[in-house]
Amino acid sequence: MTTSATSPVTRGMTRVWWGQIKAVIRLEMKKTFFAKRGLWIYLVAALPVFLFMAYAMATSGRQHRTASLARRGEKMLAYQDLLAVKPGMTSEEVVAILGKPPLAFHWGENRPLGPGVTANVLRENYHYSDGQNDLFVDLADGKVESINIRNGNNQGQDSIMFAGVFQFFFLRLAVFFGCLGIFMNLFRGEVLDRSLHFYFLAPMRREVLMAGKFLAGLLATCTIFVISEVLQTVAFLWHFSPSAREVYLYHNHGLEHAAVYVGVTVLACLGYGAFFLVAGMLFRNPIIPAAAILIWEFINPFLPGILKQFSVIYYLKSLCPVEIPSPPGTPPLLALLISNTDPVSAPVAVVGIVVVALIALYASSLQVRRMEINYTTE
Amino acid sequence: MSVPVRPPVNAPESARIVFEGVSKFYGEILGVNRVNLSIPPGITSLVGPNGSGKTTLMNLMTGLVRPTRGRIEVLGYQTNDPEQLFAILGYSTQFDAFPKGLTGFQFLYSYLRLSGRDAHNAEQMAWRAIERVNLVDAAQRNIAGYSKGMRQRIRLAQALAHDPKVLVLDEPLNGLDPLARSEMIALFRAAAAQGCYVIISSHILHEVDVISDQVILLSNGYVVAEGQIATVRGEIQERPTQILIRCTRPRELAAKMLEDEHTIEVTIHKDEKGVLLKTRDADGFYLALNQLALNESGNGIDIESIAPADDDVLSVYEYLIGNEEVVR
Repeated sequence: MTTSATSPVTRGMTRVWWGQIKAVIRLEMKKTFFAKRGLWIYLVAALPVFLFMAYAMATSGRQHRTASLARRGEKMLAYQDLLAVKPGMTSEEVVAILGKPPLAFHWGENRPLGPGVTANVLRENYHYSDGQNDLFVDLADGKVESINIRNGNNQGQDSIMFAGVFQFFFLRLAVFFGCLGIFMNLFRGEVLDRSLHFYFLAPMRREVLMAGKFLAGLLATCTIFVISEVLQTVAFLWHFSPSAREVYLYHNHGLEHAAVYVGVTVLACLGYGAFFLVAGMLFRNPIIPAAAILIWEFINPFLPGILKQFSVIYYLKSLCPVEIPSPPGTPPLLALLISNTDPVSAPVAVVGIVVVALIALYASSLQVRRMEINYTTE
Repeated sequence: MSVPVRPPVNAPESARIVFEGVSKFYGEILGVNRVNLSIPPGITSLVGPNGSGKTTLMNLMTGLVRPTRGRIEVLGYQTNDPEQLFAILGYSTQFDAFPKGLTGFQFLYSYLRLSGRDAHNAEQMAWRAIERVNLVDAAQRNIAGYSKGMRQRIRLAQALAHDPKVLVLDEPLNGLDPLARSEMIALFRAAAAQGCYVIISSHILHEVDVISDQVILLSNGYVVAEGQIATVRGEIQERPTQILIRCTRPRELAAKMLEDEHTIEVTIHKDEKGVLLKTRDADGFYLALNQLALNESGNGIDIESIAPADDDVLSVYEYLIGNEEVVR
């Protein structure tokens, strides 16, 4: 008769291993969060937050000026009013539609009429606002020459900008280098400090040590970069009015996107973390594997399908909730880099990253068993 | 709960620390070569000059480095199984680095938690180890502020903390003051008396002489001799045995002894109260001396004591290895 239940010895060992993993995590978290050599990681994680804060401040300032301009106008304007102005209209027609401009400039300009003949033209610029969007009307000799509408709070464009920063700065640089800094130092940092033997002298499987260190690194990177991601979202939404924020979060999938970005950040930490853990054990000089992995991730869009699957960014790109459009005229190589020509479904992407991470962790477990304490050669 | 220790794989050899044809090369540099050892319980000292392979042998024994060739077993356990090995073995290394930011107590407590002990058990065992090395007052201070001797003691505490059956101690008395040295030596003796295997590396020969049950002499990566000191000395045939005889009228005794065929050289001791003799056949010499003592007792030569003068580690070391960097 067989039984499917695990034996008491197995259960006991599992409890011991879990206790050992927790002990490793406690030691590593202290080192990871408060290490002087890791301060730059906080800076890298905070950079996009500062970027969105600066953007929010600039946008808020502009919104404030726009609202002030609207209040100073003769009429309360709607967006449709701004669209009613067309080139060729006279200044009187414009004033009839929009009222006297709250802000206007005029100046004289010499314009060539023919060879050696110029005429002095009266140029005017009217600036209107509906409280959110700005209209700039250029007039010459009392007729509208050109119009320029600057849209205020454009959630669609803002979310594409957020997606661009997330994909091209946060994922590919901040999380990438942050994981490099933390995971490559899990073993290598202690070899340099000559303190790795402390762990190797404990009655603990090397694989358990590796698992503990990896989980500690994962916890640290996830904490740092998920907090950064949440702060980025908060900073990004800062300049939205409460109603616009509500519309974005609850009706335009904003909350869903924020959750997906957090999930993608966690998966990025998992994938890059596993890569850098094994790289930190295999290489003495971290620059070589870092450069190799960075190039590998960068050239991913140009690789054949089978090779694409052995990278992290391939899966992460497929999970990103907002696709970044390539504007017309984008160079083909850049367009290829931006676009996701061969996306995979979300479940496949998640499983793909987990499998890639597991392969890297398996390689790490083989390597950690072979590791020797030989500080003099470092 | 700590790591449960499985029965050793190799039961017949499980009472010894065994090296079989072990070599270790660091690239092209020789660590140790063709080492065959079988270490019994008690205090075993590894003796040899710097670079002779003492630390390499200890690192091999504890699995911190892997042999290029050969097989090592510690009481039947493989050295590539740290989970089982370090449950029965404690190693005080020469590496003078510690995890950053830890106090002495935290260092031991963390080590014991890594060993799988629960918080309460780990705390009790950590304090017991701290008491054993007399470091209670400094236990809550950061290790970074410890003196060399205190760091040595906290490393010893780490090796002792989980009451291992095998203690491997690399230069354990370095940096300790005389009082601490004698305390530690007493500690090692107590452990050995309880059946522990205490492996000590040292180049302070008079201490090795005092504490060792057996020695392993290393030179340039090779084991040149092993066993009890007297046995090792007895096996060195090319060097005559030196015997110190304390007696009255040493000059007369010297003259008589020179007539004996076993005597090679006789020197009057500088205090004029004895003679130092060299012989190639100690047993034959003792028989001849007994005869002489019987014959000459009426002639005023009273023999007070007879003792071998060169069966200590220092002499054995000098005979086998020469006058390389050792502290007498």
